[in-house]
Amino acid sequence: MTALLRYQGALLLRSQRWLAPVLLYAAFLAVGFRPGDPVPDSLGYSAAALVPVTAWLVRTCLSVEPDAARDCAAAAAGPVRVHAAALLTGLGWGAGAGGLGAVAVLLLGAREGPRLPTAALAGAASVLVCALTGAAVGALCARPLLRAPGYAVAAAGLGSLLALVTAGSPARVAVSGLVGGSVALPLGALAGAAALACAAGAAACLAAARRG
Amino acid sequence: MRLDAVGRRYGVRGPWVLRGVSLELPPGALVRVEGRNGGGKSTLLRLVAGIDTPTEGSITGRPRRTAYVPERFPAALPLTAQAYLGHLGRVHGLTRAEAARRAAQWLERFGAAGHARTPLAELSKGTSQKVAVAQALLAGPGLLVLDEAWTGLDVPARAELDRAVAERTAAGGTVLFVDHDPARLAGAPDRHYRVEGGALEPVRPGAGPGPRVRIEAAGPPGAVPPPGLAAEPLPAGGFRLTVPAGRSDAVLRELLTAHPAWHIRNVSDLP
Repeated sequence: MTALLRYQGALLLRSQRWLAPVLLYAAFLAVGFRPGDPVPDSLGYSAAALVPVTAWLVRTCLSVEPDAARDCAAAAAGPVRVHAAALLTGLGWGAGAGGLGAVAVLLLGAREGPRLPTAALAGAASVLVCALTGAAVGALCARPLLRAPGYAVAAAGLGSLLALVTAGSPARVAVSGLVGGSVALPLGALAGAAALACAAGAAACLAAARRG
Repeated sequence: MRLDAVGRRYGVRGPWVLRGVSLELPPGALVRVEGRNGGGKSTLLRLVAGIDTPTEGSITGRPRRTAYVPERFPAALPLTAQAYLGHLGRVHGLTRAEAARRAAQWLERFGAAGHARTPLAELSKGTSQKVAVAQALLAGPGLLVLDEAWTGLDVPARAELDRAVAERTAAGGTVLFVDHDPARLAGAPDRHYRVEGGALEPVRPGAGPGPRVRIEAAGPPGAVPPPGLAAEPLPAGGFRLTVPAGRSDAVLRELLTAHPAWHIRNVSDLP
């Protein structure tokens, strides 16, 4: 699995297709966050932007490898593990970008307000919740579950939006908590996002094995 | 490894591409599959390689290291040939150093060593195919699945792939291949099947080993005969090789084009 993760990571890095989603995330932050803004509010905003960005990164990882190369890797390691490695790579990049965004917010945000460790913990949890939710959306809106690229991109956009506005969605719970000024740890949302990502990932991996 | 009553269809109500396929793939066997275009050969190969899962039936005993060579490898991957092979070698379970060593060795054998540092996207079709073949062979797989892997290779690389297949089977690996050239590895396959109307039918059931040819040849000092052949050393030096008649020309060609070339003393038909 380590070898597959390294391979997928190299593919994403060298293809430079990580650049567009990461730049989009940077643009979100640049537009919505000003140095001196309140920290909890800004952490919530930056985490919310992570949902579509991670969905995009996961979709990119699932489509960066041409079919022929994917077949070779699938014969070597099994289609489930190949698909899982691509999902985890996208999730990792999303969480990494979110982590950098949260660090920027913590360093540049308003000095008053909650203590730094408390805010950092809440920020890390919300980054994880939103990255996991975005990864679930990306896994469901990509091959092999949704192959037509037009529909898949539209579905990923719509799915990300729904994940942020639907009542009870883990991303919404985590983001609205922070935006409301609370830095309590969103443990329920974290568990929900993890369960959602596992279910979506498992569905996508099993479908990858069944449909080749 | 065996397939039991394997069937595959795409979609819940799609037509069966394959149905009721039972196949035994013992270690060391060289198995040829033929059939019409679109007849299900590639589907069978993908099922055997584990890229695809059967809709019904079961596949058991697949060797741990399985490698697949697709017919076309237009891999627009953002990696150099060497880096790609290194990654795939590690995916196959090799260490980094071992993967790099074998990648260099296989690129050299297929005459593509000069392209090791070329991005895959810039390689010609034939050189990409060499990378695809190297990717499969560098793991020393217990099961090697070749879907018209010879297509696009130049003549020396085709001969090298023939040799690599012989080495694999000699080392106990199972090789399953499809090729449109009926002369490909002629006489060598242990089993020969045809995919017909979604079913797998043996070709020449019960055929014996067929006529054989005995070749007596002396190589340069220290030379060993091509692997996968029945060879016995002769007291006067050199070897006596017993090969299937259909493969004898290929073996002679290989001996005569080796550097330095072998000396052929005698060629005789065996009943």
